Amino acid sequence: MYFRFGAAVVLAVLVAVSGIAIEKRCLMLRRALSRDRYRYEGLCDLYARQRLQTQQLGAPARLLEALESSDKPIIARSHSARETSRGPQVAVESGVDARR
Amino acid sequence: MAAEPLDPLLPEPAEEANAESTAGPRPRGQSAQIRRRRGVIVAVISLCSLAVAARLIQLQVIQSARLAERGTRQKSYVEALPAPPGDLLDRNGRVLATSVVSRSLFVVPEKISDPWPSAQRLGRALHLDPDRLCDRLQSEKKFTWVKRRLTAEDEQAFRALGLPAAAWGLRDEYVRRYPQGALAAHILGLRDVDGNSRGGLEQSLEAVLRGCPGRRTLYRDARGRVIDVPDDTDIPPRPGRSVVTTLDSIIQVYAERELDRVVAEWRPHGVCALVEDPSTGEILAMASRPAFDPNRPEGVSEDAWMNRAIAWTYEPGSTFKPFVVAGALERGRVRPDEEIDCAGGETRLASRVFHDTHPYGLLSVADVLVKSSNIGMSRIGGRLSNGELFATIASFGFGRSTGLGLPGEIAGTLRPVKQWSSYSNASLSIGQEVAVTPLQMITAHSALANGGTMTSPKLVLRTLDGSSSADADLPLATPVVSRAADREAARWLVAGPMRDVVLRGTGTRANLPGYSVFGKTGTAQKLDTATGAYSADKYVSSFLCGAPAANPRVIVLVVVDEPSGGSHFGGTVAAPAAAEILRQTLAYLKVAPDDSSGQPHETTAQRPATYFKR
Repeated sequence: MYFRFGAAVVLAVLVAVSGIAIEKRCLMLRRALSRDRYRYEGLCDLYARQRLQTQQLGAPARLLEALESSDKPIIARSHSARETSRGPQVAVESGVDARR
Repeated sequence: MAAEPLDPLLPEPAEEANAESTAGPRPRGQSAQIRRRRGVIVAVISLCSLAVAARLIQLQVIQSARLAERGTRQKSYVEALPAPPGDLLDRNGRVLATSVVSRSLFVVPEKISDPWPSAQRLGRALHLDPDRLCDRLQSEKKFTWVKRRLTAEDEQAFRALGLPAAAWGLRDEYVRRYPQGALAAHILGLRDVDGNSRGGLEQSLEAVLRGCPGRRTLYRDARGRVIDVPDDTDIPPRPGRSVVTTLDSIIQVYAERELDRVVAEWRPHGVCALVEDPSTGEILAMASRPAFDPNRPEGVSEDAWMNRAIAWTYEPGSTFKPFVVAGALERGRVRPDEEIDCAGGETRLASRVFHDTHPYGLLSVADVLVKSSNIGMSRIGGRLSNGELFATIASFGFGRSTGLGLPGEIAGTLRPVKQWSSYSNASLSIGQEVAVTPLQMITAHSALANGGTMTSPKLVLRTLDGSSSADADLPLATPVVSRAADREAARWLVAGPMRDVVLRGTGTRANLPGYSVFGKTGTAQKLDTATGAYSADKYVSSFLCGAPAANPRVIVLVVVDEPSGGSHFGGTVAAPAAAEILRQTLAYLKVAPDDSSGQPHETTAQRPATYFKR
């Protein structure tokens, strides 16, 4: 009788502990889901801002005059700067890509 | 261990028995008192139980629904989720208008105990006037904006103040941005600080761009802190649909740049330019000056809000003449090889005297247009009855809206025949007594360039989602095609007289090497409202041109209102700007040069038989 009573108590405790564990897991997942959703919204906002900035920087009204007058130092400078600063890395990366 | 008595006033039964056996029977008065006390206690407990039961019934049965609703209301909070408006794009996908999230700061004035110090601190942090801010903080309101559209620096400075959390909040709002700056501002319109559309495509496409706001339910504790966000109550916002316009940003830049040059050189009252593909009616560029930057609409002059291409009318003058000739040719009232007597430069029609800038004798129909003879045109128009002339003008779309769909477009003025005077026929033949918008004018010339078939102008290509149901919401994208003029007459006019206008007429400044440019100048006196007569010093100068003449790809119209730089002729003021826009556009669209000579191919007398076979 004591064994049966003990087993019943243990079973009840196990069920309760499992329930608590599942509940905790559920809450954790919900938190993660909320966090991911907010991150997603944040990324969408960031994407919108960067897209806006890209469009502003690439606006024809801003670039056309310089392009038409064949005055391209900005493009040339940034291109050469990238080559000097990232030249070896770019070469390695492109080499890896080529092997793949 | 003896059990404790339930009631300390009642003795234990055993004790009672012992007491009775040892001390004899209890006095009658004492036992009655005990019974009375017991009855009182039972009655009090019963009454309390009844009261509790009654209250429970009241709360859980009678007021159940109302209280449940009240509890839910206190616990839950429905938050509106704004929908981002759709983007406006040019035909190549460049963003003309888009929305980004911006934070706005509000406060709850009733929870601010020290308005003046708070106003001073907020004013310093956010660069606001503390006095005005203090007035708002002293109100009894539960909500007031402090500053909309905070920058990152603003937000950082504000957070550093450490105001009590219950007294303020930040709300996300969508703010409209125009990455191309002032480019095409009149076409796009703008959205105010509350997101309401004001003018342009923003207003006319509001139903498509707007989207549908969503909502989210939040559960809060007694202190107002959010404790749960149930997913099942979420209605996500539906973003507005993005719309692709017919505009090309590059061509728009060409047009606006030329307008700026015209403004600098001729200091006009206003100026506008239009670039259109005549075969499809697609507006490639539409610009107006003065203009404004939709990103900074504060302090813009009233003149700058008007889109002169659609919301301003003028008497077109000579650019109107080809339509009258087209009508006369179509009805057989004049032959292309016919010569018209131009009366030596002056003639009287009814009570009005008509002049030409130079005295001409006999001119061919083509030369009447090339030399822009008013007398010759009045003679050609006179061969049409008033009804026929009206029908001809109306068939080119004058006197009614083009259907472009931009708010503020006006229909112009074309009076019914019964209101015409004895010289209205002659006046209309030279582009007077009719008020047109620049958009109507370029649409009508597109019909000539398109072989007499008029396609309604359009500014909208499609929505980005591309579904047919979505496009059904875009009536502006639906073209209307009609027959405006005889095909042969239209082709002859464009490739013949209008080509010669550029080669040897009034528009020689628009001749582009390599391209067979056609065009027509217009120099119209403005009506002086004070005297009721035509002004001697106020003109509207215009020029319309297109190329290639055999198969026009682009036509351009530039209209200059009251130039004041010394000249007022359309061929001098407007033609160079229109030609430059045309040149750049043809090169940008990679239209192959089609004319290497740049000279008239044959004499005017020979051309009709070649171009026009009736």
